[in-house]
Amino acid sequence: MSIYGSAVKKPITTIMVFMAVIVFGIYSLINLPVDIYPEIEFPAITVYTTYPGASASDIEINVSKPIEDALNTVDKLKEITSVSRDNYSVVTLEFEYEVDLSEAANDIRDAISLVEDYLPEDAEKPMIFKFNSSMIPILMFAVTAEESYEGIEKILDEKIINPLNRIDGIGSISLMGTPIREVSVDINPRKLEAYNLSVEQIGGILKAENLNMPSGNIKMGQMDYPLRVEGEFEHSDYIKNIVLGNYNGQVIYLKDVAEVRDSIKDMTIDEKINGVQGLRLMINKQSGANTVKVAEEINEKLEELKKDLPADIQMQTIFDTSTFIKGSISNLTETLMYALLFVTLVVLLFLGRWRATFIIVLTIPISLIVSFIFLHITGSSINIISLSALSIAIGMVVDDAIVVLENIAKHIDRGASPREAAIYATNEVWLAVIVTTLTVVAVFFPMTMISGMTGIMFRELGWIVTITVVTSTLAAITLTPMLSSKMLKLQDKDAPQKKFSFDKILLPQFDKLDNWYGRVLNWSIHNKWKVTISALLLFVASLFLAGSLGTEFMPESDEGRLTIAVELQSGTRMERSVQLARQIDSIINKYPEALIISTSAGADENGGMMSMFRASGSNIINYVIKLKDVEDRERSVWDIAESIRSELAVFPEIVNFNIETSNSGMTSNTVDVEIFGYDIDKTTYLANELSDKIKQIEGARNVEISREESKPELRIELDREKMASVGMNTASVATAMYNRVAGLTATKFREEGEEYDVVIRFKEEFRQSITDIENTALFTPTGKIIRLGEIGVVKEYWTPPNIEHKRRERLVTISVTPYKTSLGELANSIQLVIDKADRPKDVMINVGGAYEDQMESFADLGLLFLLSLILVYIVMASQFESLKMPFIIMMSIPFAITGVLFALWITNTTISSISALGIIMLVGIVVKNAIVLVDYINLMRDRGIDLDEAIVISGKSRLRPVLMTALTTILGMLPLAMSTGEGSEIWSPMGISVIGGLVFSTVITMVIVPVFYRFMAHKGERDKKQIVRTKFKFMDM
Amino acid sequence: MKAIFIVYNQALTEKVEYMLDRLEIRGFTQWGDVSGRGSVSGDPHMGTHTWPEINSATLTMVDNDKVDVILDKISKMNSVNEEVGIRAFVWDILQSV
Repeated sequence: MSIYGSAVKKPITTIMVFMAVIVFGIYSLINLPVDIYPEIEFPAITVYTTYPGASASDIEINVSKPIEDALNTVDKLKEITSVSRDNYSVVTLEFEYEVDLSEAANDIRDAISLVEDYLPEDAEKPMIFKFNSSMIPILMFAVTAEESYEGIEKILDEKIINPLNRIDGIGSISLMGTPIREVSVDINPRKLEAYNLSVEQIGGILKAENLNMPSGNIKMGQMDYPLRVEGEFEHSDYIKNIVLGNYNGQVIYLKDVAEVRDSIKDMTIDEKINGVQGLRLMINKQSGANTVKVAEEINEKLEELKKDLPADIQMQTIFDTSTFIKGSISNLTETLMYALLFVTLVVLLFLGRWRATFIIVLTIPISLIVSFIFLHITGSSINIISLSALSIAIGMVVDDAIVVLENIAKHIDRGASPREAAIYATNEVWLAVIVTTLTVVAVFFPMTMISGMTGIMFRELGWIVTITVVTSTLAAITLTPMLSSKMLKLQDKDAPQKKFSFDKILLPQFDKLDNWYGRVLNWSIHNKWKVTISALLLFVASLFLAGSLGTEFMPESDEGRLTIAVELQSGTRMERSVQLARQIDSIINKYPEALIISTSAGADENGGMMSMFRASGSNIINYVIKLKDVEDRERSVWDIAESIRSELAVFPEIVNFNIETSNSGMTSNTVDVEIFGYDIDKTTYLANELSDKIKQIEGARNVEISREESKPELRIELDREKMASVGMNTASVATAMYNRVAGLTATKFREEGEEYDVVIRFKEEFRQSITDIENTALFTPTGKIIRLGEIGVVKEYWTPPNIEHKRRERLVTISVTPYKTSLGELANSIQLVIDKADRPKDVMINVGGAYEDQMESFADLGLLFLLSLILVYIVMASQFESLKMPFIIMMSIPFAITGVLFALWITNTTISSISALGIIMLVGIVVKNAIVLVDYINLMRDRGIDLDEAIVISGKSRLRPVLMTALTTILGMLPLAMSTGEGSEIWSPMGISVIGGLVFSTVITMVIVPVFYRFMAHKGERDKKQIVRTKFKFMDM
Repeated sequence: MKAIFIVYNQALTEKVEYMLDRLEIRGFTQWGDVSGRGSVSGDPHMGTHTWPEINSATLTMVDNDKVDVILDKISKMNSVNEEVGIRAFVWDILQSV
């Protein structure tokens, strides 16, 4: 028994099977996490090695290079890059997307163990870690405080951080710009010398005084007493009264030579939130945890915890990545609902029957729900890609059900009982239905095989559309006949027609449309040359249009967040940066769109990890600005960035600044000019020269050179002979200088279970100039005082702070962000600049960055397009058992491209991976239309009707089904193309291109395909009878 | 005894079976999926892509008095919608075992 036969005969079983699918689908849906993209593990592993005290160039030669050499042979390595900075080296290995990173990490570990012995002895063991999305904070809060500011770290730690850490999925919580309590002992070196004391001596005394020690037990009478010496400082105030010694019979207290302050450590970073003193709290999630779920739990818990905070502490959200995700997803869900509504209306409009519409529309939720099961099984999430895939599928899943139902309805109208009609009508069409589905699968299935970045994005789309369309076909040949057998009834032809019935109002209109189209077709096939030539002209014209369209990799989205990095002259002290920051603050405050402005000037000593991702230093001011919601403002984030840019450009102090509008990391959108060359001076010069020229290019923004400007440093150059004569060596001098300038952490002051450093150093006024340094008194081993200036000199030097490598060669990168221009255009104009510049012989220049990704991605998509075409041809050739028919049908594809180009041009959209994907999807959808038409013409011809007449009859008869399938798809995508909310920039190009392509190609298909049919089928088909005649001669003998 | 050969659009299968039951005709032989075309009018029922419809055929031996009843019912069935198609042919049975 056939599948549709059993389905009709066992309605309960059929319903139960689909119920099971629905139940499992809903279960999956409930358990599906929500995210922005399918999970992408960025395939990179970083090797981080510290070598304290080494300069960037030492690190380059002694650390980075040997590690690079060792790792260069690791399997499936795509690219190796490194940055060598003072004190540390970061080597980054980028792999192909499909690589198993744990395996790669093992390979790296093996390779490193081989070179470890050759690294400098003082270098620490290299650390290996995987970069993943969990390293980007998902939530950032601004915390401001007044009275509680000094103790804020402890308060936050107890009241916020510890309770929050209990939430599942939180990776880490970190504070930026926290004031750290410290007991500082600021020495006056003059007095110290007068008393003949050294910093180290004071350190020793403090350490010796701050002590609790058990001293044994005492037995007295019946008791046993433990004996203890209690000397620990109970209060920081005691420290200043510590006795340092005797001088000429006089007791010297610490307060005589130093000032003791229990306050906040000298800050190297200044954090202001909306101009108020504050700090930032960042929360990272664990890798694999769901952003939305974690963020929701945090926000919920935080509401509770905030109640316990002192009244002056305020917490505001600077950004919450989950709101963008939730906004995008709810936007798309809304889109999906509209699509469902539109499709239902179209079906109702064309069929005019409620019951039939219900049966057809029912296939939509069933097919879509299966994709949730797929997502659940593969551990994926509801994200932009999976929801767009559903939007695309929604218009296609009804097609099969429509074909089946129409045939059943035809049989019922002819008097068959619904049950029989259901079985036999399905029998007639089921094969055709499966074949048309195959053409769609032929387009979408190859998507599951793309590699690289594009693959990650579109593999899921390919799977979902394939699965939903296949499910819809299954439903169309089981559920649809079953429901039809139960629900459809023979319409009584003799019953009086209602005044506003479908038959009375719409049917005549459709008939008119059919007739009009019949006349158009008739004219076209008689003027086939005119039609063909004008169509060709249109196609060629659209290709010219393509040249004027911009290209980009991924459309950028307005996330309502700006990050600005302002760089001052390197070496600028933090106080100066802070002053300027206040000036910039007042500029940004003028923007009504800015909700929260978080400023941080300088670098956080403890934020070492952060400095791996973004530059920091006393001369850098970083801003994070949260804007109002997209709906509540008129200017886009790019316009605001542009306006801020022009205001910042006025400051002469600002060496460079960079304004970024996206922080998701996914959609980096820069053209990178990579200058390879060993000579640092030459390449730096060239980079500066090029960047000046690139800045002239219209639309080039954020022109940044990756090699930071050389920074000034003071070096103490010691004279070894002189040192030896006083019995000192480099190490002893270096330690002594460290203790006097950076400070000697003598001991820890304990209070309420917390420990605070007690730091001894020279008072600031005694370490402010080169003279001060040279005047620093050092003690020789014999106890004599000697000035640093006597054994060495202090000199000023300029050093490059970072040296970068790519593919083991030195390079400088100039990165450029496009504004109101496309990546492709920008890359082209940059290439022109490079071609004109005269470059030294040993320097190589390459244009890459997101532009490179874009090219790779377009190449992938091009290949995919070709693959789809071939597969579609194969499916059709076997369906029609003809090599010629597929060609006629595929004639509609070029016009789909024409339509896409026109649509992009009209809406001023760029060609991106997303809109290119739209073109590929069109192959399947457009071809489907043409198949319906050509198949019917073939049928008519086989039934012995004349070519011209067959074309016109088929055209008239197939106009409605073609319009219906096209309209369901177009209207299904319309909400996608029109949406303007959060994240819509990402998917609307796909909607625009599919709609444009489909509208245009449907119109053209209905004319061009019949005309081509007339061209090509003309001869062969007519001679069929003649051929048979010559084959069977016996009748004419 | 007469033999009646009924060929009909597959979609009429249930009706034909019901008719035989109502007329208390127990014996028949049935073929599913047979193709054919009419001598005068109507679409061929070939079960192909071009002519997707297909027939069933039933051969039943009945007493002479039932022949007219059967033919009458079949012609009524046909008149519901002639496009669907049902035909019956009667011939004599000379002997049987």
